[in-house]
Amino acid sequence: MKKGLTSFSIDHPWWVIGLAVVITAFFAMQFPKITIDTDPENMLAADEPVRIFEHQTKEDFGLSDFIAVGVVRETGAFTPQTLNRIYNITAEIEDIDGVVADDIIAPSTVDDIKQGDGGAMVVAALMEDEIETQDQADYILSRINLNPILNGKLASEDGRAVAIMIPIESKDMSHRIAVEIKIITEKYGGDEKFYIAGLPMAEDSFGAEMFSQMAYSAPAALLIIFLLLLMFFRKVRIILAPMIVAIMSVIWAMGLLILTGNTVHIMSSMIPIFLIPIAVLNSIHIISEFHDNYKKHKHKDATIRHSISELFLPMLFTSATTIAGFISLALTPIPPVQVFGIFVAFGILVAWFLSITLNPAIAMLIPAKTLHNFGADDENHGLLARLMNVFRNLSFRYSKSIVFASLAVVVVSAVGLSMIVVNDNPVRWFKKSHPIRIADTIMNQHLAGTYMNYLVIEGSDDDAVKDPDVQKYMETLQRELEKEEIVGAVSGLPDIVKKVRFELFGGDSTKAELPESQTEIAQMLFLFEMSGGDPDDLFKFVTPEYNKANLWVQLKAGDNMAVSQVVKRANDFIASNPPPNGVTVNWAGLPYINITWQHQMVTGMRRSLISSFVVVFIMMVALFRSFRWGFISMLPLTITIMAIYAFIGFIGKPYDMPVAVLSSLTLGLSIDFAIHFIQRLRTIHKRTANFRESYNEIFEGTGRAISRNVLVIAIGFVPMIFSTLVPYITVGSFFLAIMVVSGLVTLLLLPSIVRIFGNTLLPSTKATQHHTLGTKSKTQEQIS
Amino acid sequence: MKRITMLLTLTILTFGLTIVTKTAAQNVNEIMKKSHLAYYYAADDGVGDVTMTITDKRGKERVKEFIMLRIDEEDGGRQRYYTYFKKPSDISRLTFMVHKVPDGNDQRWIYVPSVDLIKPISADDKNSSFVGSHFSYEDVSGRHWTEDTHTLIGDSTINGTDVWVIESIPKKEQKGLARKLSYIAHDSYLPLLENYYNKKDKLVRVFRADRVEEIDGVVTMTTRSMENVKKGGKTVIEFSNIKYNTGLDKSIFTERYLKNPPRKYIK
Repeated sequence: MKKGLTSFSIDHPWWVIGLAVVITAFFAMQFPKITIDTDPENMLAADEPVRIFEHQTKEDFGLSDFIAVGVVRETGAFTPQTLNRIYNITAEIEDIDGVVADDIIAPSTVDDIKQGDGGAMVVAALMEDEIETQDQADYILSRINLNPILNGKLASEDGRAVAIMIPIESKDMSHRIAVEIKIITEKYGGDEKFYIAGLPMAEDSFGAEMFSQMAYSAPAALLIIFLLLLMFFRKVRIILAPMIVAIMSVIWAMGLLILTGNTVHIMSSMIPIFLIPIAVLNSIHIISEFHDNYKKHKHKDATIRHSISELFLPMLFTSATTIAGFISLALTPIPPVQVFGIFVAFGILVAWFLSITLNPAIAMLIPAKTLHNFGADDENHGLLARLMNVFRNLSFRYSKSIVFASLAVVVVSAVGLSMIVVNDNPVRWFKKSHPIRIADTIMNQHLAGTYMNYLVIEGSDDDAVKDPDVQKYMETLQRELEKEEIVGAVSGLPDIVKKVRFELFGGDSTKAELPESQTEIAQMLFLFEMSGGDPDDLFKFVTPEYNKANLWVQLKAGDNMAVSQVVKRANDFIASNPPPNGVTVNWAGLPYINITWQHQMVTGMRRSLISSFVVVFIMMVALFRSFRWGFISMLPLTITIMAIYAFIGFIGKPYDMPVAVLSSLTLGLSIDFAIHFIQRLRTIHKRTANFRESYNEIFEGTGRAISRNVLVIAIGFVPMIFSTLVPYITVGSFFLAIMVVSGLVTLLLLPSIVRIFGNTLLPSTKATQHHTLGTKSKTQEQIS
Repeated sequence: MKRITMLLTLTILTFGLTIVTKTAAQNVNEIMKKSHLAYYYAADDGVGDVTMTITDKRGKERVKEFIMLRIDEEDGGRQRYYTYFKKPSDISRLTFMVHKVPDGNDQRWIYVPSVDLIKPISADDKNSSFVGSHFSYEDVSGRHWTEDTHTLIGDSTINGTDVWVIESIPKKEQKGLARKLSYIAHDSYLPLLENYYNKKDKLVRVFRADRVEEIDGVVTMTTRSMENVKKGGKTVIEFSNIKYNTGLDKSIFTERYLKNPPRKYIK
């Protein structure tokens, strides 16, 4: 088969090229049908119970996702000027399309329960109109601080910050709405600072920025790879082939993804970035081989046939292992990750197929004249050749030290691995200096928090939550959760009942308690409605049938670790204090959804990593038909994964979604060098049947090809390290780390092992001259 | 000469137009006044049982039942209302009283039986919901016709009844309301349909007189509804056992009777 395909390509280059172009055109034509989906909630399948419950909760209580606007004035935000600006800004925000105007929480929209004329009770807007005097401003702040429903949430107690919570119809509008809000706040000028934060906005903005970053990162990586290849091989015509193979694999994979009706999610937008280096890898091996052989054969046709035939098996296996790494992502329970894994795997298959068909076909079209001096130079004097000499000598002389050093790395890495912290927060996907991060930090310093979770209390009958025992339970649960440092506030129905009672008795603070009877609770709530309270405000906390109530748990941080801690505290409390009357307590809210899918991802990724590790090991044993070689080939991969993830543990970088997904890339890529190294070493040894000769030769062609690959991929993705989005920085750094570490391990540890166990691994059956003085002097010759 | 004729014609035309517009304006204000009186000041007093069905946007229903007493001091002027709640059971025996002052602030009191306390309450009647329904206080007690500028748009029919279509625009800027279209019956002067529009000229609320009957010689809306088109949800108010001119005693409408409901009317 291998001969067949490649031979056909060599004999009929135009056929192959034509066919590839037609198929590529077909897939490219699918692109206009693209549907983009940036909602991280889709990390969970639509029928996932948490999502169903989340939607039910939103519907039950008429809840929307929020954009939080923070107004901060260090010398005090409660002045007529600032409050009037907030008043007018709020009015303008109400008119933005997609804003749920009726549910905005701002000084001019929220109600206060207070004493009106003649001791009357009234529920009316806190700031009914623009104000004129400082006294009015001070009065508004004092009212906020006296109201448990608003205190700390609408404004900081010191009055330096005010929050405007803006509910939106759907999350995917939040980026656009945030931009419109920014235009409005900038128009008003003033000496206060405006910050825009909130999880839905961060998530949606991330999606938007990610796609624009992709539009620039993928071409940038291609360009740099192109330039590096040009530097190595100096012939544009020759390096065009790998570039075309890479671009075509991306187009085929993305085209098929769109054709099969999949949405392009944040994950799948990364497919090109993952495919490009993998696609280029094989081609570099072919060109390297071609480059190194051409001077021997001086015949294009023969060189190509020879190169492909030499590389066929290692290329097949490097591709197969990388495919195994990515296809294992289909084992995770997260749909976008599954799609990502499957289509990267498909792209790798395409890249492999094109490198053994399209690559030779294109090479056949290169006029012999162009190849005139190809491969003639830098054979033994080039920088790479000299570098390979250094590696050869290092591993030969210090083989034992290298093995010990590797062992030490493994031990130290084990420590680092144990230090890994699983954590994620979509807001932290932005760099610290990003406006979204800054807004998040400042607003959560001043106010009760921009992350909204909900704790739903459900009784079996209507009116169940009017029960005094249930009310009391909710109140205790509120206070319990507020003990958690990141919980800014927990608000609920008991706050309204107590506040109404307090005002009913003319501001008597001894009456700010929950009533003992259900009738009284019901009448307090009725009094709230009768005094002008908006029933919809009430129904954010309770269903109209009073069978479910909702505690708003406002968090100052959205880190999954912190959220999990809050959830745990609630669960512990519920476990030791069972709710009365068979009431159930359940979580909803975006932060809770995030911890749910993170949990699924972590366990899912562990499963997929272990299974692909096992599959790759079996493949290696099969490829080398040797348990020992299979074991040795797994070393670079194992050490690379351990070292990289240990490094993450040591520097305290959280193990988040991008880091988790990158483990399959690490696995797929870091085995490649070992395959090429061992397969070629054994082929060479079959020919030489002499340990010394084989040892020396492997550092020539293969060694150079590996080092070229290390450089091309590592440097090609350096631009990503300068991105403003943390996952991009992570991906770029991973490419660099994978290449450098697995390259080093392959070129130092593998030869050292071979050196130590040379007798058994590569028995010399011809001209036994290993371990003699003669050998040593030959080695020394090669150093110079 | 020619010029003088033209000037004369113009003058006459202008005058004529002014007169015509003025009459129309008077007419439309007259219609609105009559409508207001027919709707809110029927007879001199009235008693009735009310069933209020509040349907939220998810389609869940809540029912409130109460007895309502009303006495007018003068047509279009001061009025007193007394409400006794029967259902839901957890608010039964709760009473509520309004002294309506058209050119001032209405006075309202509520008696909360669970704490045995009478509390004056004052809610902004334009934006506050009445008893948690989709009707505002103002919808129930009436918005004075002089608060809006009215324009007669034309004639139409609703279920075979001839109506005037009148557009009303608030004189003072009002939150969430830019204009209202009323369809007022030629015969009874009752509004059969009202469409409320917000500043973006989107239909926000729709009022309907779902059932009109003649009781004791008074044409009365026995079923009316308010639908929130924008947010969803609807409230239907049904009157039954309506009696007019029963000779209600004005003293019933005092704080004393809040705690001790008049047995004659409250059963």
